[in-house]
Amino acid sequence: MTAFHFFNCAILTFGPHAVYYSATPLSEYDTLGTSMKAALVYLGTAIVKLVCLANFLKVSENDEFDPYQESLKALIGLVDVAGIYFALTQLTHRNISQNHKFQAVGLGWAFADSILHRLAPLWVGARGLEFTWDYILQGLEANANLAFSISMAALGSLMWLRRNKPKTLIPLIYICALIVATMPSITSYLRKRLDWHFPEVVGFELGSSLVMAFISWQLFSACQRRSS
Amino acid sequence: ILSAIVSLPLIELEARIMSSRKPGDSDVLSSLYSMIPLLFLLLACVELSDAAAAVDVYRLVQYDISGVPFGSRIAALNHHAASLHSSAGADLSRSVLIIPLRELNISLVKGNFQLRLIALHLELDYVELDSATLVMTEYISQKKTLGGLLLLLPQMFNFESGDMAVTKDDIHEMERLKNLLVELEELLIHANIPYPVYFAFEHDDIEAVLADIQRNDVNGQAATPTNGGYKFVVSAPEPKKLASPIMTNIQGWLPGLKPDGDTNQLPTIAIVASYDTFGAAPALSVGSDSNGSGVVALLEIARLFSLLYSNPKTRGKYNLLFGLTSGGPYNYNGTHKHFLLQWLRSFDQRLRETIDYAICLNSIGSWDDKLWLHVSKPPQNAYVKQIYERFSGVAGELGLEVELKHKKINISNPRVSLSSWVIAWEHEQFSRLRVTAATLSGLSSAPELFQRTGSLSDSGYLVSEDAIRRSIKLIAQSIARHIYDQQEDMPVFADDSSLAVDLSYVRLWLDLLSRTPRVAPFLTKNDPLVAALKKELAEHTHEVTVQHELLDGMFTFYDSTKAKLNIYQVASVTFDLLLLLAVGSYLIVLFSFLVITTRVHGLIYNFNHDNCVSSFCLLFFNHPIDQL
Repeated sequence: MTAFHFFNCAILTFGPHAVYYSATPLSEYDTLGTSMKAALVYLGTAIVKLVCLANFLKVSENDEFDPYQESLKALIGLVDVAGIYFALTQLTHRNISQNHKFQAVGLGWAFADSILHRLAPLWVGARGLEFTWDYILQGLEANANLAFSISMAALGSLMWLRRNKPKTLIPLIYICALIVATMPSITSYLRKRLDWHFPEVVGFELGSSLVMAFISWQLFSACQRRSS
Repeated sequence: ILSAIVSLPLIELEARIMSSRKPGDSDVLSSLYSMIPLLFLLLACVELSDAAAAVDVYRLVQYDISGVPFGSRIAALNHHAASLHSSAGADLSRSVLIIPLRELNISLVKGNFQLRLIALHLELDYVELDSATLVMTEYISQKKTLGGLLLLLPQMFNFESGDMAVTKDDIHEMERLKNLLVELEELLIHANIPYPVYFAFEHDDIEAVLADIQRNDVNGQAATPTNGGYKFVVSAPEPKKLASPIMTNIQGWLPGLKPDGDTNQLPTIAIVASYDTFGAAPALSVGSDSNGSGVVALLEIARLFSLLYSNPKTRGKYNLLFGLTSGGPYNYNGTHKHFLLQWLRSFDQRLRETIDYAICLNSIGSWDDKLWLHVSKPPQNAYVKQIYERFSGVAGELGLEVELKHKKINISNPRVSLSSWVIAWEHEQFSRLRVTAATLSGLSSAPELFQRTGSLSDSGYLVSEDAIRRSIKLIAQSIARHIYDQQEDMPVFADDSSLAVDLSYVRLWLDLLSRTPRVAPFLTKNDPLVAALKKELAEHTHEVTVQHELLDGMFTFYDSTKAKLNIYQVASVTFDLLLLLAVGSYLIVLFSFLVITTRVHGLIYNFNHDNCVSSFCLLFFNHPIDQL
C-alpha cells in the first residue's frame, strides 16, 4: 500500500510537468534540450544560493520571522531571477519562437526544482507505513510552483527579450515579476509570523499561482498582439 | 543536491561519450552512465522509521516442560489494532487486541479456571461473566484465535519509572490491580497461546491511541486516514531455544573459632535464599518480595555476622554458610544440585561436615505481624523443637509471632504428573539429604508451581523495609542465641549499637533488586548482578565459591523477551485508490485544458495572420507547412 501511496504522490508531483510537455506544442518542436539546459541553470543557481545563504545568513534558534534575515533571503532569492535571465538570454537555443522558449525554460526550471526539493522527502517518507497528508500537499505545491515558474519565465521574456512593449503595461510587468520573485518570502512570512499551517499555505500558493499565471498570460498575449 | 553535484561530472562525461560515439557502440554503457546519477540520488536517502509511537513491550514467557509447550509461541506481530469495545461478532483473528488491566474484572476461582471454562461450555452462570472475562477465557482457551494480545499495565508495576511515588492510584485500587494481575499471570503462564502476547505500561501516547481505537470500535467506523486504523508492528526474530541455561549458586563461608588442639570439625549453620525469579514476562520479573527480600536479609545477616566474627573474642564456635541459590522456581533445582553434588564430591571436605541446621528465607518483606516457620520433620523432633523455641523466644521479645507449620515432603514419583511433584519449600531439598532445615516465610501456605516466584505483580511497592528489618533482627538474634548458647535475654543486635540492622544498606540492595529482572535461564555466567552478589558476599565472608549448574532438562526456555512496538496510523486501500482516481482525473483535465488552450490558441493565432492553408495543415496534420 505504501508503495502505492508513493506512486500516487509521485505522479501528482511530477506528472504535470510531463503532461505540460506533451500537451502543449513544446513536444512538437522538440524543446527538450532547452528544458534540460534550464534545469542545469537552476542547479547552478541553487548552488550559488546555498553558498550565499551559508555565508551571510545566521541560523536562528527559534522559528521566528526576523525581518532582517528574511529580507536577506529575499535578496538572495533574486539570484533566481538572475538565473532565469541567464537561461532565457545567454543560452543558445535552437530556432524556436519566443512563445515556446519561455515555456520550455519555465518547465525545465520547475522540473529541476521539484526533483531537487521534493523527490528525496517523497522517497524516504511516502513509502513508510505511517500516513500523513504532507506528501499530497507537497505535490500540490509542486503544481503551484510549475505555474509560478512559467509565469516568471513569461514575465522575464517580456522584460528582456521583447523590445517594443506598450508603455502602459511596463510597470505592471515589473510589479508582477517582483511579486512572483518574492513569493518564497511571502510564504515564509505567512508560515512563521501569521502561523499558517501547511494546508493553508499550499492553498494560498495554488490560488496565487493561478492568478499570476492568468495575469502573465494576458500580459504576454497583449504584448504579442501589440507587437505583431 | 549533493548527489546532483556528484552526478554533474558524470552527466558531462556521458555527454562527451555520446558526442564522440561511433555508430555501433553499445548502448548499455551509456544507459548505465545515465543510471548512476539516479542511483546516487537514491542511495543518499536513508530509510527511516516514522511511527506515530514507539513503545517498549515485553513478551510473555515461552517455555516447555518435558516437551509440553506453554506461554506465547510467537514473537513477531503485524496486525491492525482492536479493543474490547468492538462488536461481539467481530472477527479478531487478524487483529491485535489491546486490553488495559484496569478494565479486566476477572473473578476466577483461584487456580480453577478449568471450572469456569466448563461453566462457559454449559452456559451456566453466564450472566456473571462480563465481556472482558468472556474474551479472556474464550481467547485463551483457544476457542477463538487472535492476531495478538497487548496488555496495558499501570505504572505502579514499572520498575523503570524512577520515582516510586508516581502512581496515581490509591491503596485500594493498587490492591485490586495487584490481585487482578496475579490471577491474570496464573492464567497466562499455564496456557498454551499460539499468538504473541505482550505487556506494556500505560503512557500518554499509547493511551491516546487506545482512546482513538475504542472510539472507532464503538462507532463501528471503518478506518479512514485521519482517524483510526492503527497498525501494530513488532519485528522480532523467531524465538529460539536457550541452549543450556545455567544456574549460578554463590556460597559464602564464614569459619568459626576452632579451639587449639581440637581436631573435630565445627558444626555449621546454613542460611540460604534463592535469588532468581520467574514470571509472566521474564524482562519484568523483578520479584521484590519473592525473593528479593530474602536476598537482602541474607546479605545484611552476613554483614552483621562478619562484624561479629572479625574479632576472635566474639567469634562463635559455629561455621556460617551463606548460600544464594538459583533455580528456585524450578523446584529449587539449584539448591538440590548444589548441595547434593557438593557432598558427593569427596574433595570438598568442609561440606561433608555436619550442617547443624539450615534456615531458608522466602518472602519476608510483606508481612504484618506473623511469620511462619515451615518444617518437614514433625514438630516433635528434638532439633525442630530447639530451633522453634529459639525463634519464638526472640519473636516474643521483639513483639512478633512465629508459628510452626509442618508439611510432609511430597515423595511421589516425579515423572507421573507435574502438579504432584512440586518442591514447595527450599528446606525440603535439605530434608531430602537428611539435614534439619526450615523455611522462614511470610507466606502461610506453600505456593504451587510458578506461584509467588517473583512475578510481575511483585513490584517494589508491596515490600516494606520495616518488615525486612524485623525479620533480619529475628533471624540474626535467634542464630546468635544458638551459637553463643545464650539462655537469658541479651540483645546482640540492639538498635543504636554498632551491630544494629543498617536500614540504608537494606534499602540500597532492595532498590537494586527491585530493578533487576532475574529469571535464571536469561542470566549468563557473567551477569553483572551475579558478579555484584558475589563481590558483596566476598566482602562479608572469608571465602566465596561460585558454582554453575545446568538447569534441569525438563525445562526449556525461549528467548526474545523484549521488543519495540511501532504504532502506525495507516490509510485504507480505498483511500489510495480514490487518490489515484483523483490524481489521474486531474492530470487528464490538465492535459485537455492545455491542449485546448495552446493548440487551439495557436490555431486561432495562426488563423488570424497566415493563410488558411497553413492553419489547415496545422489542424489536420499537426505539422507546420514548412515541414510538409
